[in-house]
Amino acid sequence: MRFRGNVFGASVAFIVGVIVLLGYFFTSPLLGGVDIRQLLIQWAAIIAAAALFLGLINLFTVHWNKVNDQTQGWPYSAVLIFFFLVTIVLGVIFGPDFEVMNLLFNYIQLPIEAGLIALLAITLAYAGFRFISHRKDVFSVVFVSTALLVLMGNSPWLLGSDSTLAALMANLRAWIVQVWSVAGARGIILGVALGATTTGLRVILGADRPYGD
Amino acid sequence: MIDSLGFLILLIFLGSLVGFAFFGDRWPVFFRPLPGYEELGNELERAVESGDRIHLSLGTGPLSGFESAPTFAGLAILAKIASSTMMSDKPLIVSTGDGATTTLAQDTLYSAYRNAGAESRYTSTYARMLGPTPFSYVAGIPALLSQEEVAVHILTGSFGIEGALAADFGRREGVFVLAGTEDVQAQALLYATADYPMIGEEIFAGGAYLDVGVFHKASLRSQDVVRLVIVAIILFGVLLRTAGIVP
Repeated sequence: MRFRGNVFGASVAFIVGVIVLLGYFFTSPLLGGVDIRQLLIQWAAIIAAAALFLGLINLFTVHWNKVNDQTQGWPYSAVLIFFFLVTIVLGVIFGPDFEVMNLLFNYIQLPIEAGLIALLAITLAYAGFRFISHRKDVFSVVFVSTALLVLMGNSPWLLGSDSTLAALMANLRAWIVQVWSVAGARGIILGVALGATTTGLRVILGADRPYGD
Repeated sequence: MIDSLGFLILLIFLGSLVGFAFFGDRWPVFFRPLPGYEELGNELERAVESGDRIHLSLGTGPLSGFESAPTFAGLAILAKIASSTMMSDKPLIVSTGDGATTTLAQDTLYSAYRNAGAESRYTSTYARMLGPTPFSYVAGIPALLSQEEVAVHILTGSFGIEGALAADFGRREGVFVLAGTEDVQAQALLYATADYPMIGEEIFAGGAYLDVGVFHKASLRSQDVVRLVIVAIILFGVLLRTAGIVP
């Protein structure tokens, strides 16, 4: 354990962390009529918003260096920088509700992101086949079989949507989703919550210092 | 109004965490083998020896709220991996989808370089934000993997369904993919797309398995203690309700 270095940062993290954490169990103290816990959370949100600006500068710097050094794929970086500057200039001058800004969002960003979501469906189908061919064990068979059963119980059938078999599959899907899936998910969520709590406690205690030593 | 039970569990958590951190050596334990972390150790050594690049993704989630926990877990192992790979020809690269996480990743990397006396080798663009939205972030992954000649692709942070694409891009490049997140649905997708998916709280166990510090090993032990307490409370509640003592 190291208790040297950035004592100020660790102290701030400890005090703020304790105030916010205890606010979940006790009535938060007031300072001049202001809820201290809520105030600290609002400050965190403001700082995070400012950090987004730093992230954008980082994004710009990475691609500027690529263009400058003419590294592999630099034309893509040049396109990114061009639209980055165009978007920022238009946004700053005319505001986010400007018609061209909406056009850029609706006809460039939205279709690309929707395309990636569509790609995800194909990717998962392919991953399912690859999964069962690479991992030949009980868990992979259960995983893929369950996915197929849920898909069949959830999707409209080309033929016989009103048949007894279709109704049986729908009931089977409901049983899997409402009993097995929920039970498993609750167990996983409990484990994740325990892990998240210890991670937070380590940061508050100063054992983990993501803000640097 | 005090949430007595929750506060009691928190105190047990805190007491067991600090207790195991300071006195855990008196009762040594063995952690169950996790193939992903065992193989990661081998892959890190191989990557450093062969001069290959390692990429660590801290996810797309914000630093505020529940999604921050896996990001902090990722930052904890970042310093460890950075210190063991900084002398490589191709040092570790970190990517995020959030500005605040990028800043913390830069700080963590810089601290690791400074502690090793290698500040001159540090460049702020070793940690980079690929995009401010989940899918713009993922869209930047293929170019990063191919242009930076990545051989080890670690995803440890907050991801939604876009994490499946991030992992699959790694599989397509033929690189080692270790992936975990806190989101249950995303974990199911990573189970199919990653070489070594981390399920449940395994994402938070990286520090203990990579030997980051005593508090990380104590964390696993305190989690087990609190888990047993919660299971006992649940069983007690089931018994009371079955007996008709509580409605």
